[in-house]
Amino acid sequence: MPKKLNKDQIQKIILSSLGFIGLLYCYFTFFLGPLNRSRESMTQTIVETQAKTASSKTEVKKTANLEVQAAEALSRYTALKATTSQGAPIAWFPPKMRNFFENNDIEKAGVRLESSNSFAEPQLSDWIKNTWAIDLPSAGFDALGKALAELENSEPLLAVQKISIHAVPEDPQFQQASLNVQTSFYAK
Amino acid sequence: MALQLNLLHEEITQHRERQRDPLKLGIYAIVLFAAILFLYYGWNAYQTMQIKSQLNAVEAEWGKVEPKVTAAQKRAEELHRIIDSTTVLDGLIESRFYWAPFLSKIAGCVSPNIQLLGLDASTNGNGGSVSATLEGISAAQEPRHAAEEFRQLLAEEFEKKYGEVKVEFRNLEDLDTVVNLVGTPTATARFVVSVSFNPTAPVPATPAAATPEASK
Repeated sequence: MPKKLNKDQIQKIILSSLGFIGLLYCYFTFFLGPLNRSRESMTQTIVETQAKTASSKTEVKKTANLEVQAAEALSRYTALKATTSQGAPIAWFPPKMRNFFENNDIEKAGVRLESSNSFAEPQLSDWIKNTWAIDLPSAGFDALGKALAELENSEPLLAVQKISIHAVPEDPQFQQASLNVQTSFYAK
Repeated sequence: MALQLNLLHEEITQHRERQRDPLKLGIYAIVLFAAILFLYYGWNAYQTMQIKSQLNAVEAEWGKVEPKVTAAQKRAEELHRIIDSTTVLDGLIESRFYWAPFLSKIAGCVSPNIQLLGLDASTNGNGGSVSATLEGISAAQEPRHAAEEFRQLLAEEFEKKYGEVKVEFRNLEDLDTVVNLVGTPTATARFVVSVSFNPTAPVPATPAAATPEASK
């Protein structure tokens, strides 16, 4: 025969139930919950880091392949950079041109800088574009042609934009020539 | 028949009540359940520690790879920049107009009865069209005809190498001056010829282009 619970016992049962509920709340709120969240976060971090590591290894391999593929471009770029001497172009380019034309039997070459600009192309942000006027007061036509050919072959980053040749009235054997050339120099 | 009397009836009842005290039983149950929960927590904590050690290993590997990949990315960026710069520079070099062959063509067209006094030529940027003005004097019995021959020869020669060639007289006038050409007084004419062509345009496939340079 079931025994009827008295008031004191009912209070104690309610108190025990409250304690049980409190235990569950504390357990899930302060212990298991944070632990699970931390575990999930770590698992997520592991997955992300592993993916990052795998893609990074692929990227390192790609860079190594790119290095091989770019070898030719690298050597060409180095060679093109080497055409620019140390110092300001105004200091070394005019003497270089004077020597060049003297070596090609054209004396008294006058070289002056007309303009200096940056390239519009973003790929050439390290390079500057200079325009020079070269005056050759007395040049034989053959010597001028040969010198031009040699200049165009030896200076890949030099382009003659304008050329003007006129006979010298006092000396029909020679011509007076002027060139407008555009050069591309590496801006160090 | 023996008579049994329970003289400790109240004490036994109290003892039983103490044993079945709901608060006491509840505390036992809570402690037992807390112990089970603690064990479960411990198992979870153990798994979490394993994951933590796995994370440490993965992060250590990433720590080794990261400097390499950072350097690789930097290098790849630099290589791409160099490749792009080289491509643009190559474009500049390839699109240059070479003046020496142009002067050579002109020199090849000048016959003994033609004297060039001036040449002004310019290119319209990289890979653009080229325009030139030639000023000279022709000497012959019919100096205008000699100038016209020079113009035609220029056109023929340039058409062999360049596209969209135009060679036109801008000026042609007889001069009063008579020159001595191979011991013979000869009439002269002054001419100005303008030449324009596009070095990048395709050369028209004419039979003249296929023939060797025999017209000099």
